[in-house]
Amino acid sequence: MNGLWLVADREIRTRIRTKGFLISLALSGLLVVALAFVPKLLSGQDSYEVAVVGAVPVAAADVTYTKYADEAGARKAVTDGAVDAALIDDQRVVSEGELDQRLGLLLESAHREGKIKASGLVITPLTVETGATAQYQSVRTGIATLLVMVLFFLLIYSAMYVAMGVVEEKGSRIVEILLAAVRPWQLLGGKIVGLGLLGLVNLAVVIGGGLIAATATGLATDFPPGMAGIVISTVVWFVLGYAFFSVLAAAFGSLVSRQEEVNSVLTPMTMTMTITYLVAYFAAVEPEGTLARVLSLVPPFSSMVMPVRTAATDVPIAEIVLSAALMVVATVAVLLAGARVYNRAVVRTGARVKLAEVLR
Amino acid sequence: MLEVQDLRKRFGDKVALDGVGFAVRPGEMFGFVGANGAGKTTTMRIVMGVLDADSGEVRLDGKPLTYDSRRRFGYMPEERGLYQKMKVAEQVEYFGRLHGLGKAAAHDAAGELIERLGLTGRRDDAVETLSLGNQQRVQLAVALVHSPSVLVLDEPFSGLDPIAVDALADVLKDRCSSGVPVVFSSHQLELVEQLCDSVGIISGGRMVAAGPVDELRATEGRTLLKVVVRGASPGWADDLTGEVTTDGDRQVLLIESGDDQEILRSAVNAGEVEHFGRQRPTLAEIFREAVA
Repeated sequence: MNGLWLVADREIRTRIRTKGFLISLALSGLLVVALAFVPKLLSGQDSYEVAVVGAVPVAAADVTYTKYADEAGARKAVTDGAVDAALIDDQRVVSEGELDQRLGLLLESAHREGKIKASGLVITPLTVETGATAQYQSVRTGIATLLVMVLFFLLIYSAMYVAMGVVEEKGSRIVEILLAAVRPWQLLGGKIVGLGLLGLVNLAVVIGGGLIAATATGLATDFPPGMAGIVISTVVWFVLGYAFFSVLAAAFGSLVSRQEEVNSVLTPMTMTMTITYLVAYFAAVEPEGTLARVLSLVPPFSSMVMPVRTAATDVPIAEIVLSAALMVVATVAVLLAGARVYNRAVVRTGARVKLAEVLR
Repeated sequence: MLEVQDLRKRFGDKVALDGVGFAVRPGEMFGFVGANGAGKTTTMRIVMGVLDADSGEVRLDGKPLTYDSRRRFGYMPEERGLYQKMKVAEQVEYFGRLHGLGKAAAHDAAGELIERLGLTGRRDDAVETLSLGNQQRVQLAVALVHSPSVLVLDEPFSGLDPIAVDALADVLKDRCSSGVPVVFSSHQLELVEQLCDSVGIISGGRMVAAGPVDELRATEGRTLLKVVVRGASPGWADDLTGEVTTDGDRQVLLIESGDDQEILRSAVNAGEVEHFGRQRPTLAEIFREAVA
């Protein structure tokens, strides 16, 4: 075990000193913080000023009326931008450029309400009842969509680093003297644990940065109950997904001796991850769809689809447990096969080693 | 004692090792020589456990090697490998720790070796900034940092300048005299002859000769009679089988067989005898003959 920690320790020390790591850490943190501000920027205006000439209409939410003596004065206020629109004699609306859609609706309904009241008719507004979670639907979808991106990039990025590290050691032949000192599982395990811990640090920065920024912008007040559960599930699924994909990356990586060959040898893995990403993205929007439900149980797709579904909707606990159990089984299987491939291929330098040859 | 017994290894249809065996006693320096592709590297990789033999065994002090006994070996592979971006001292220390040294012990051992190998000024430089010769010194330091119980070095001298060769030879002699069996392969036969107590010659995956250098020189190859005569008339030695080279008025004869007393008499009659004696074959000659 000592050997594994020594290897992990070296991986961490080496990696955190590189510019690439610091830059990606800072960028991913900044990205979520920026994303937390987006809803605020996109939501547009939340109150309006309207110039009124003649009769003042019924009060409307978020609209402030200002009396003007004549139409010319009101029009000037519109042109100057002092008000958003002008209402002339309770008949015409004047605006500079296109009328804000929401303001239009507000004025229209205020206008109707006035007319209806005047006719003596009494209307009780509709009352709306929603499920306990429905009010958080859009926020949950938003969080889930963000999760897809974060999980995908962190998983593929960390797995890539494992593969590159394996090839570096194999290509430089240093693996021969390493294996004279530590066992293959210690070398492979140390690399995976070390880079995985850095992946977790990155994930923590992203989640922490996101939560702090959301609190600062007031977005957090819209967060559904059970955010802690979403965070924990994300971390657990990241660990499972990382274990699966990093072992796969190491096994594939050990087949080649040159960094130039890494991308091509990893293609099956990156393809699988990309498909997982697309399905998970779909699951964020349509968490109850058949595809999302099925693939949230099937490893390795479940590693991203399940946390995203959990964030987007309420998933029965039995499904989560089943999915996690299947993923653990798949990870153990990949670990056994991957370690076998790695053990046999990593000292065979030169031409690319055929997978079938080392699996036999 | 390190014993290599009847190693056999095939790569597909190609037989790489066909019964390789030798023994290296504690404190003995064993030179492993052979043409390219003869099986030296394969043998050493099997000794180190990098490769598995199809059959045969490697023993240390009578016991088959285990992971733990191998972990105390020092190894320098044919293809050098270091973390290019890691600093010299840090790297040597890291390998000390991987081989089981504590933090302080690894630090001290690394510092000492770096000084001994003349790398003190470069201890905090990345390996990639070093010249090849200096990288090789680092490679050696990595192999030696944990005071190994056995040293297995594949071509440790290749690519070194004479000063580095001396430094490396000194370090090896030092380790050897402290009772460590040392095995190294080399193409520099003079160096092997000069450094090694024993040699093994491998050809086509078989050991063709192995043993103490003196013994090999006495038993393997041909011992020639060397006669140097000055001022002799050409043709006096026509009846003898051997090589004659003429240098001015001096003739050098390397005679394979014949009655030495008879040859001496005729040489004295022919001219002034400057040298008369048996010449044992050099390692290079034994090698050429053995692999021919």
